[in-house]
Amino acid sequence: MIEAYKPLMAGLLAAFMVLTSYLVVRSKDLVYASGSLAVLGVLNAALLALLGYGIVAVFLVVVYVGAAVMFIIVAVSMLGGGGPEKWQPEKGAFAAASALTVLLIILLASSLYTAYTQPGSISLRSVSGILVGRYLPVLGVIFVALAATLIEAVAIARKR
Amino acid sequence: MPVDTALGGIAAVSAALMASIAVYGLTSSQNLIRQLLSIEVLFNAVLILVIILFSFNPVNATLFAVTLTAVVSGEVIVIVAVVVSLFRRTRSLESLVLEEEGV
Repeated sequence: MIEAYKPLMAGLLAAFMVLTSYLVVRSKDLVYASGSLAVLGVLNAALLALLGYGIVAVFLVVVYVGAAVMFIIVAVSMLGGGGPEKWQPEKGAFAAASALTVLLIILLASSLYTAYTQPGSISLRSVSGILVGRYLPVLGVIFVALAATLIEAVAIARKR
Repeated sequence: MPVDTALGGIAAVSAALMASIAVYGLTSSQNLIRQLLSIEVLFNAVLILVIILFSFNPVNATLFAVTLTAVVSGEVIVIVAVVVSLFRRTRSLESLVLEEEGV
């Protein structure tokens, strides 16, 4: 029963996501734009959950919205915008139209969207088992790289 | 139309629209924070496309998406640190000001 309503819900979420993306790009106040990015992250997580990827959705809300986007919001609030913005809308519109044309041709003409199939149940146990078993070296590299990144960020921010 | 195809199509088209909006923000604004926010919108679009294109193997798609999210979160922190550092030096967030001052 609920399967029949999934496309409708996905369409609504997609429409709100496009609207929120526009708000992120065009809001005059950078703090509101950052807040819109947080809303976009939550909507994206809802769409991913609808597509059957609940683990990714939870991770996106907790790590991305809860940490990264909140960090952006706090930093932007402290910086205060940095004065009036300069816009070049013609250049942007041309680039956006080109990007949209290329992406739609790639996605629709080659029917790449038909590659999507709803997954069965993805358990956290199977995901973590493969991550620790098969991809342990990759996990280690990511762990070290992220730790180095955070140290680098602290060093850059403290330097005067 | 099957539900899978409809869901994939809706998600793919919304990702394409979001990516084009992100490109618009990235190329039309010269504010560093606005450019960072546009890159984040682009990341959200890419995440949807990754899920669609890798969905033939759901566990690998989940792993790839989770890794991507973690790496992007780290990248955001570094970019914000760089922006804060530049703002301290130039008192401006415009990328052209940085070019003029030779930063």
